Amino acid sequence: MAEQHTAADGKHKASPNAGGSLHGNSRTNAVGGGGGKGGLSGGLAQPAGWQSLLSFTILFLAWLAGFSSRLFAVIRFESIIHEFDPWFNYRSTHHLTTNGFYEFLNWFDERSWYPLGRIVGGTVYPGLMVTAGLIHYVLNLLHLTVHIRDVCVFLAPVFSGLTSISTFLLTRELWNQGAGLLAACFIAIVPGYISRSVAGSFDNEGIAIFALQFTYYLWVKSIKTGSVFWSIGCCLSYFYMVSAWGGYVFIINLIPLHVFVLLLMQRYSRRVYIAYSTFYIVGLVLSMQIPFVGFQPIRTSEHMAAAGVFALLQAYALLQYLKDRLTKQEFQTLFFLGVSLAAGVVFFTIHIPIIASVSEHQPTTWVSFFFDLHILVCTFPAGLWFCIKNVNDERVFVALYAISAVYFAGVMVRLMLTLTPVVCMLSAIAFSSVFEHYLGDDMKRENPPIEDSSDEDDKRSSGNLYDKAGKVRKHVSEQEKAEEGLGPNIKSIVTMLMLMLLMMFAVHCTWVTSNAYSSPSVVLASYNNDGTRNILDDFREAYYWLRQNTDEHARVMSWWDYGYQIAGMANRTTLVDNNTWNNSHIALVGKAMSSNESAAYEIMRSLDVDYVLIIFGGVIGYSGDDINKFLWMVRIAEGEHPKDIRESDYFTPQGEFRVDKAGSPVLLNCLMYKMSYYRFGEMQLDFRTPPGFDRTRNAEIGNKDIKFKHLEEAFTSEHWLVRIYKVKKLENREPLEHKLRSIVPRQKYTSKKTAKRKRGHIRNKLVLKKGKKLNKK
Amino acid sequence: MARSIPFCAVTTCLLLITGLCYRVAADGLVNEEVKRTVDLSTHLAKITAEILLSNQGDSVVHSFILAVEPDLAPNLAYVGASVILSHILRPFPTHITQAERQLVVFQGNHYLYSPYPTRSQTTRVRLASKTVESYTKLGNPSKSDEAIEYGPFHDVAPFSEDALKVHYENNTPFLTISSITRIIEVSHWGNIAVEETIDMRHTGAFLKGPFSRYDYQRQSDSGISSVKSFKTILPASAQDVYYRDEIGNISTSHLQILEDSVEVEVRPRFPLFGGWKTHYIIGYNLPSYEYLYTLGDQYALKMRLVDHVYDDQVIDSLTVKLILPEGARNIHVETPYPIDRIPDQLHYTYLDTFGRPVLVVSKNNLVEQHIQDVVVHYTFNKILMLQEPLLVVGAFYILFFTVIIYVRLDFSITKDPAAEVRMKVSSITEQVLTLVNKRFGLYRHMDEVVNRYKQSRDTGALNSGRKTLEADHRTLTNDISSLQARLKAEGSDLTDKVGEVQKLDGQVKELVCRSWQEAERLVAGKVKKEAYIDNEKTLSTKRLELVTRIDSLLDTL
Repeated sequence: MAEQHTAADGKHKASPNAGGSLHGNSRTNAVGGGGGKGGLSGGLAQPAGWQSLLSFTILFLAWLAGFSSRLFAVIRFESIIHEFDPWFNYRSTHHLTTNGFYEFLNWFDERSWYPLGRIVGGTVYPGLMVTAGLIHYVLNLLHLTVHIRDVCVFLAPVFSGLTSISTFLLTRELWNQGAGLLAACFIAIVPGYISRSVAGSFDNEGIAIFALQFTYYLWVKSIKTGSVFWSIGCCLSYFYMVSAWGGYVFIINLIPLHVFVLLLMQRYSRRVYIAYSTFYIVGLVLSMQIPFVGFQPIRTSEHMAAAGVFALLQAYALLQYLKDRLTKQEFQTLFFLGVSLAAGVVFFTIHIPIIASVSEHQPTTWVSFFFDLHILVCTFPAGLWFCIKNVNDERVFVALYAISAVYFAGVMVRLMLTLTPVVCMLSAIAFSSVFEHYLGDDMKRENPPIEDSSDEDDKRSSGNLYDKAGKVRKHVSEQEKAEEGLGPNIKSIVTMLMLMLLMMFAVHCTWVTSNAYSSPSVVLASYNNDGTRNILDDFREAYYWLRQNTDEHARVMSWWDYGYQIAGMANRTTLVDNNTWNNSHIALVGKAMSSNESAAYEIMRSLDVDYVLIIFGGVIGYSGDDINKFLWMVRIAEGEHPKDIRESDYFTPQGEFRVDKAGSPVLLNCLMYKMSYYRFGEMQLDFRTPPGFDRTRNAEIGNKDIKFKHLEEAFTSEHWLVRIYKVKKLENREPLEHKLRSIVPRQKYTSKKTAKRKRGHIRNKLVLKKGKKLNKK
Repeated sequence: MARSIPFCAVTTCLLLITGLCYRVAADGLVNEEVKRTVDLSTHLAKITAEILLSNQGDSVVHSFILAVEPDLAPNLAYVGASVILSHILRPFPTHITQAERQLVVFQGNHYLYSPYPTRSQTTRVRLASKTVESYTKLGNPSKSDEAIEYGPFHDVAPFSEDALKVHYENNTPFLTISSITRIIEVSHWGNIAVEETIDMRHTGAFLKGPFSRYDYQRQSDSGISSVKSFKTILPASAQDVYYRDEIGNISTSHLQILEDSVEVEVRPRFPLFGGWKTHYIIGYNLPSYEYLYTLGDQYALKMRLVDHVYDDQVIDSLTVKLILPEGARNIHVETPYPIDRIPDQLHYTYLDTFGRPVLVVSKNNLVEQHIQDVVVHYTFNKILMLQEPLLVVGAFYILFFTVIIYVRLDFSITKDPAAEVRMKVSSITEQVLTLVNKRFGLYRHMDEVVNRYKQSRDTGALNSGRKTLEADHRTLTNDISSLQARLKAEGSDLTDKVGEVQKLDGQVKELVCRSWQEAERLVAGKVKKEAYIDNEKTLSTKRLELVTRIDSLLDTL
């Protein structure tokens, strides 16, 4: 871990300096080129070589730092898949590697959503699995015997390196190389991105951010060059993005928005026309090849903006063409305005439902902005301002990207992820400009390079085809322009401040990564007073018990949160899982959990349930357990079965949700309560609390006398975190609930023997008086 | 003359009869005194017999025959110092609840099953606990705490059988390894990796009804026959021990390094009750110098065919895969006891090209006594050790070479003449720039010469300096003009600018000459110092102006 710290710090110290010295190289390397500095110019005879070596090294270090700071969980625990969704991805990747690609595409998973099943091939974004499977395949082809689990675990950290490289490329296109390197370093360690890409978090977002950044890079490139080649590249990258994540909708709306704004700003050119027409047509066709996406791109409202802008662009191009022929310019502009306004109205009215549809999650708080982005959240408006001040085609793009991403991130906390890259880029631009200004002691001040698209050809020609130095201009004049009153003290102070900020940023990133985002959540750890660590491995204990000691086709009922984990770790059939596509099925499970035992038994029998698995945190004080989630089950069940389940029944008359004696009797007798607290009433955790004291809710439970008729405890993990109950089969003969009616036999047929006995009696027999025992207090 | 052979089951030659009667009495051997011990304290039956043998016949006897009852034959695991039978103790009842204790039944023979007549014999049955439900009462046996003594019986006929049945409490772990795959991978780089994949089940009485964690935690005798953990003893030099299963590391284990062994306390994820099973992988590395012997190209690997998993282990099925280094030839195996060879396989791992040979052997029904060494001989050409490093070197070489080729060569399919011209022009301007810079350097040098002259008043030095300056200047100017001509040939519009630079430079040169003349005049005393300083100032401002103009011109190049 110390290594990581030093790596991160070292990189951060290195990168701004590198940025500065890069400028030094790309500009004149010395003013005194006249007599004295001949030696220096000899040493740096090939600044281009130096520059690429330096960029290469910095990018490599950024990759390394990004990779290693994502390994906290692996070092602390082990190489394991985290959380919930990754377990499904891992399971399907495993399926892909064992059965082949076509089998995967046609996979009908009969082990989930019993008895419905799930068509996995058609309901997933296969990019992630195919990527991991491909890497695994190639490695095995080279006889590198790596287990597919390790490929899955380390996929996201490896892709974070690719993300930083594509961020570098994109920022270089937007600003300059120094800013690009800074941006690459930022994105490598920024917590907002790490939160979704630590080792073990094998999820779509891990590779999707790379695809997103790379698509944007290629898009900017194709806008700049107007070449079909880059456009096709952009389409392929977009295709990869579509195959990887549902967030591709962001691209297919942002790029048309960019084109639209360019049209509004009268920045139309042939390059835009070529780039967008190619992108739209080829991208559309490619995106429809993903089975899960299918015909959505021509049906749903999210994709209509792209189509609208495409039509608008064609119309505009036609008008431009006509304008060359006709001369009625007033008419043209009027027409243009009318069309664009109409299109704009259409665009935004269409756009609103998207926002509404994704806003189901919580809005982001300021704290989480700062937590995930730290100093970058303050500096990125500056970068945005720089971009807008020196605007050109691609900077319009980044501005739009920033504004829309900020909006989405504000609406929904999960979309912080799409904001992070643009924040990194713009902050890098801000830092880079500041350093350029204050670090440039011996460089001639120039305006920020406005590399307009026309500059591109020139740049390309001076590219690396020949091993020739870049432009070296040695200024002969020794005079310095007046430095706008900036003394060396101010310069160094500002520089130091900036470096301090960057250092604090690096420290913050490492801290957040280590403390907040590096827990596998499958394995829990607790620390004793002496610093030693206890590992609570209850989840895996119970899942592995299911895997080993239940019938292979046993059906396990649990709340949907644990569906993927049961399928992945226990390899058993589940009723509902995290792919919450069938609400009524979930409601049925919720109803079973919130009904009383006999009603629940009816439901469970109709669903062929063999085992019921619940999470109970009362013994160790784990707050994410099923009792705490219970109200959701009730609510969802009520939504579908309002006659049988009413949420208000589960509250006390005062409207509280309590598990102790004051709790509502419906709650105290429902299946979930009984399963959670079965035999818990006898358990005394320590001497200060009464038996049956729930540590999570800090209450003594209300119903301690729990008996089951149709269920029996099958397994409880060591810390009671997971409890599994077996659903008994119907008995051959139903036992009677009540005692047999005692029929007083008539005295007629009594035999002599008994009659004799009856006649006799013991004298002075003590009479047993029935009474109650006094409660000892 | 009777010769007695005291016999403790370790014989020079051992024959086994597991089937029907055999014509044996001919050699006239008689079991004089037999002390038989049936040890039932674990889940195995270990039957030891101390036999005093006498030869009543005439001929010399070199061997004698040890027989096993036909009923017990399928359970026979090992014959050595004692006969070991596995899976012979049957739990009865077969299903128990968590609170119940495990009762088992042993069915055997009161007598020594032998092809020879027996004069006198005792049988002692050792049990696991005091609780005995029932036992056969042949010859009025005496029962002490944990043992039952039968006999002595006199003059027992050959092959006599009489059912011995003991039903008693036995809570020792009834663990069985239903299958184990042991992979031993030898590397000549100094490491032997061992990995065991183990399927284990509890073969005692099945658990009936619920498993209550509360009872299990709170009552010490709850689930008394279940298995919480066991100890596996690994070789003393074992390193990097790992213990895991399909879903990751099993965090409940402990490792203890002792002087002569490494002890792993293996705790399955959950306690094993009757009928429950688990599956895990345990692996470790060993230094090869302890197990691999070499003489020239000859190698011999001497390792345990099967290792300790737990005390009194029972293995139903064992598969051992020995992965030898790539290029190992002439392989032959010496096993301590007969085992089945399965056809060899090939294994590919890091940096392999044609695969490593894998020896596969298998055997069923093994116990602790089978922990013995196997020796594998093979030849290996040491040159092959170089193959893997060379492979890596070659791969990197190809990588770098490709990069070099890619960077140096132009792979574009279109030719862009304009770009080509631009490149040429920029290279020429580059040269122009350097030359102009050099020229400025000359002026500065001349200034220094003049200054030195003003102090030293050495006209000779001044003149020689001037001469070199003029000569250098001329060559440089000529070079620039030729470059200018080339620029013109390329049709660049920069030609004019270069021409202007040349013109301005001429003026600079003039100024330099004038400052030098002024200095001469000053030294000669023709001008006053103040005037000279004034002159010098105007000259230098003019020069600066010109230089700035040239600079700006150069910037536009």
